[in-house]
Amino acid sequence: MSRAAHPDAMSPAEPGRTRTAPPQKPASWPSHPRMRVYTLFGWTGVLYLLIGFGLLETAWSLGQGEVVWDAKLASFSHPAYVAFHLLCLVSVVFVAVRFFRLFPKSQPARIGPAKPPPRPVILAGLYAVWLGVTALFVAILSGAIFS
Amino acid sequence: MSLGTKKFVITRFDPDRDTEPRTEEYEIPVQSDWKVLDAINFIKDEIDGSLSYRWSCRMAVCGSCGMMVNGEPKLTCKTALSSYGDSLTIEPLANFPTIRDLVVEMDGFMDKFQKVKPWIIQAKERAVEEGPQHQSPEDLQAFKQFSMCINCMLCYSACPVVATDPEFLGPAAIALGHRYNMDSRDEGADERNAVFRGEGTIFSCSYANECSEVCPKNVDPAGAVNQAKFNAVVDWASSFVVKREKE
Repeated sequence: MSRAAHPDAMSPAEPGRTRTAPPQKPASWPSHPRMRVYTLFGWTGVLYLLIGFGLLETAWSLGQGEVVWDAKLASFSHPAYVAFHLLCLVSVVFVAVRFFRLFPKSQPARIGPAKPPPRPVILAGLYAVWLGVTALFVAILSGAIFS
Repeated sequence: MSLGTKKFVITRFDPDRDTEPRTEEYEIPVQSDWKVLDAINFIKDEIDGSLSYRWSCRMAVCGSCGMMVNGEPKLTCKTALSSYGDSLTIEPLANFPTIRDLVVEMDGFMDKFQKVKPWIIQAKERAVEEGPQHQSPEDLQAFKQFSMCINCMLCYSACPVVATDPEFLGPAAIALGHRYNMDSRDEGADERNAVFRGEGTIFSCSYANECSEVCPKNVDPAGAVNQAKFNAVVDWASSFVVKREKE
C-alpha cells in the first residue's frame, strides 16, 4: 500500500493496548479500472467549475457595453472554446450515464403504499426524459419553436 | 494438480519490534485447486509459524479472512489462486489500523455497528401468548439481501470516504441499520434515522459504489446507503406537508 489513509480511519473510540500500524489506502487507487471511473467522475467537477466562471464572465461582459459584448460573442466561435464545450458535452453524457446506472437501485422499497417500478422501467424512463428534454432544447435553440 | 510455484509478498508488522510495516517474500509450491488462504496457511504451517492472520470457516461464511490481494479487498478463502499470476501481494485490509501482520483492529468497526442499533426495536415487547409475528415474503424481500452481510469489512476497505472521514459510519453499518428500518416488525426507524442523518453519515457517501463491487456475498451496501438518503429526502419533503396539515 502506498498512501496513508486518515490516521484515525476505523480507529476504535477507546485505544487498544497494542500499538498499531496506521491505516493505509489501497494501492490500487486511483488506477484500478473501477476507481478510474469514479475518479474521472470527480474530475468532471473541474469542468463545471470552469463553466461557472465562464458564465460569470459572460454575464459581466454583458454589462460592459456593446463592443465588449460583441467581442465576447465572437469568442464563442474560437476553436478552443468549441473544443472545451465538446469536452463538457462528453462529460455531461458520462455523468448522466453513470447516474442513470446507479439511480434505479437507490429507490426505496416503497414510499408509503407506493412501490417503485422495476429497475429497467426506471432506467428506460430516465433515458426517455433525457432524450425528450434534449430534443426540446434543440428545437428551442434551432428556432423550430418559441421563435 | 500442481501449478508450480508462486511468490507471495506479505506485509509483516510486529508492534514490539517494527516501527512500521515491512514485507517478506515467500516462494511456495501451489496446487491448482487452492484458494489464496490455502497458500497463506501453507506458509504458516511449513515456513513461518509467526505469520499472523485471521481465518476460520474456509467457506465464505465467517468473514474473517479478508485481506488485500494485489491491492484489492478479497475474502481469501473464496479467491482462487489460479486467477493470479506468478506473484501476489498480500496486505492487511486497507483503511484499518494493523495490529500485527495481516490482523487489523476491528473495534472501530464494532463501534460503528453498535451506533446503528442493529436489532429489532419495538415500542412494546410482545407477550409470548401473542404468538409469532408474521411477515410476508414480500416484506422479507424488502430487506433480505442486506441481511446477508457477513461483516467481513471488505466494503470498508474499498470505500474512499472511510479512508478520509473517520466519522463516516461506513457501508456495512448503514446497510445493516437500513435492513432493520426496512423490517416490517421493527419500530425503531426514528432512532436509527437520528443516527443516520447526523454528521458523517449517509450524506457523506459519495456513491463510489466500490463497497457493492467488492462484496463477496453480493450485498449492495451502496444501494442501502442511497436508499437511506432517498428516505431522508422523502421524510424531509413530507414534513412540510404534515406541518401544513397540522396548521
